[in-house]
Amino acid sequence: MKKRVGVFVCDCGTNIASVVDTEKVAEYARQLPGVVYSTTYKYMCSDPGQELVRNAIQEQGLEQVVIASCSPRMHEKTFRKAVEAGGINPYMFEMVNIREQDSWVHPDRGEATDKAMDLVRMGVSKVLKNVPLQVSTIPITKKAMVIGGGIAGMQAALDIAEAGHKVILVEREASIGGKMTQLDKTFPTMDCAA
Amino acid sequence: MVAVAQHPNIELVTYAEVVKVSGYIGNFNVTVKQKAKYVDWDLCTGCGTCWEKCPSKKIKDEFELGMGLRTSIHKVFPQAVPGKPIIEAETCTKLTKGKCGICEKVCPTNAIRYDDKEQLMDVEVGAIVMATGYDLFHWEETYGEYGYGKYPDVITSLHFERLVSSGGPTGGQIRRPSDGKVPDSVAFIKCVGSRDDTKGKSYCSRACCMYTAKHAYQVKDKLPDSESYVFYMDVRTAGKNYEEFYQRSLDAGAKYIRGRVSKIYPRGDKLVLKTEDTLMGMPLEVEVDMVVLATAMVPSEGAQELAKIIGFSTDKDGFFQEAHPKLQPVETFTAGVYVAGTCQGPKDIPDTVAQASAAAVKVCGLFSKERMATEPMITEVDISKCSGCGLCVPICPYHALSLVEIKERGHQGPFTRQVVEVNGSLCQGCGACLPACRTVALNLKGFTNEQLVAEVDALCL
Repeated sequence: MKKRVGVFVCDCGTNIASVVDTEKVAEYARQLPGVVYSTTYKYMCSDPGQELVRNAIQEQGLEQVVIASCSPRMHEKTFRKAVEAGGINPYMFEMVNIREQDSWVHPDRGEATDKAMDLVRMGVSKVLKNVPLQVSTIPITKKAMVIGGGIAGMQAALDIAEAGHKVILVEREASIGGKMTQLDKTFPTMDCAA
Repeated sequence: MVAVAQHPNIELVTYAEVVKVSGYIGNFNVTVKQKAKYVDWDLCTGCGTCWEKCPSKKIKDEFELGMGLRTSIHKVFPQAVPGKPIIEAETCTKLTKGKCGICEKVCPTNAIRYDDKEQLMDVEVGAIVMATGYDLFHWEETYGEYGYGKYPDVITSLHFERLVSSGGPTGGQIRRPSDGKVPDSVAFIKCVGSRDDTKGKSYCSRACCMYTAKHAYQVKDKLPDSESYVFYMDVRTAGKNYEEFYQRSLDAGAKYIRGRVSKIYPRGDKLVLKTEDTLMGMPLEVEVDMVVLATAMVPSEGAQELAKIIGFSTDKDGFFQEAHPKLQPVETFTAGVYVAGTCQGPKDIPDTVAQASAAAVKVCGLFSKERMATEPMITEVDISKCSGCGLCVPICPYHALSLVEIKERGHQGPFTRQVVEVNGSLCQGCGACLPACRTVALNLKGFTNEQLVAEVDALCL
């Protein structure tokens, strides 16, 4: 695998850029071994931001991508898709969290920027060891179980059943209905609960 | 309710509990325990002869919260779905003492089964929707100032619902539990257990402001000459038509007083509330006939255990944890398990219905595909390094690891040895097994030891 890493540093509006000097981080990243391209952008998850990633992969011939932005919980899937759309394996990508673990928790601009550079350096080192991974598929049993037969359970069961799927509704009591059956009229319409 | 029972795609299993869940998204294996009903529901027509003749008549009716009586063989309530009875084993004289047997004699379809046993059944499903609901906060255990539950006329809002319901123990007449008197004055106290860090829960139970507005209105509506007081910290009416509903309650004559009630004690056949009006800045003493407490919503009993059985997390209060409060509000951290309603957190009926439909859509989205992609970042085993010690097997929370025998060739010819095997569908890539592996035979794809060391080196060297 050739070492051609692209590093993308996100401002997240002011969420990151107000504390972390993203330009400085991108400039620093360019000097790291294996990195051939780096840039910043206001919102990397936005359509133009993803386009930036896709185009850079193709124009710069990137083999690995590091995106320094928010938590992977937030946008890892988004960026995997963008990387894949750029033409490389979606697992040749590392996400570096410089928002939740940096700009949101550190007030000092200098220190936060230093930490962002450390985190990016770690991400680049890791991505160079990445190998392409392949997704496999599993079959799906098209039958749902709903546990609890109150308002929520009945509504969910009915909606799934209406969509044409089998549902098994398990209720602890001898009757469905839940707390609703004990209620009189209900707000704001004052119609009956049952 | 009836629509659920009649739907050809819905199989209703009541008086049953989930006892075991294995498998993974798209392929769950659920074991359901059908509790003993002692009545063959296939034969029973729900005619009612049995519960009319049952001699064990003086059992406190849970449905009426102890304000009514029922028989041992009983339906949960008259409009129950399915409309069939069960025998409560603990109160049935035939099942406890071997005497009686009247229901069996009078049953026209011979549906009574005294020898009924609980049964286990296995079901294969692709998705699970959790909708286990809520219970009410046990205020009697902590609120000494309200009498620890020893004053019969200090009741909860759910009791009040039964009192105003036409199907309830008083036929819809508001009568206080102690002597059946129609109250001249009713006090409602909000946030009992809610928004109370010291004695109850830190959260707002969300529905109480509105149902208390409804109750205060119902008092004025049914008993125009009576007084209806509401003691509150705040009035939260964030919902469509909610503020208007609250105003309607005020217009009907409900008196809202901002202040926490610090003590309730009896005086004659009345109850005295010691409180203050914080808007007027003065202490207050109010005498009423009945007090209704808007108690907090807490997770349903057994919800925590069920979450453990199925394998997903709960929050600090024991409600089911959604995967993301804004972006994945009906998913859990376990793929294929969804949440709906108050099991996820306190909410009212409109929100519950909306969330249930959202969960249903997630299930339908999953079912729209024949096969689904799995995350490749899972554990892999280097069997050349695996010693087969098995230390990792019990650590896996998803039961994805197991020991298998493999055949190998050695200098003395072929032999077999144990190695660990990963079920790629069950493994969620959490990495809990890795530290247990003494021979470093386990590696998490995407987080290999080599990758992690590279990160550490980058930071430290």
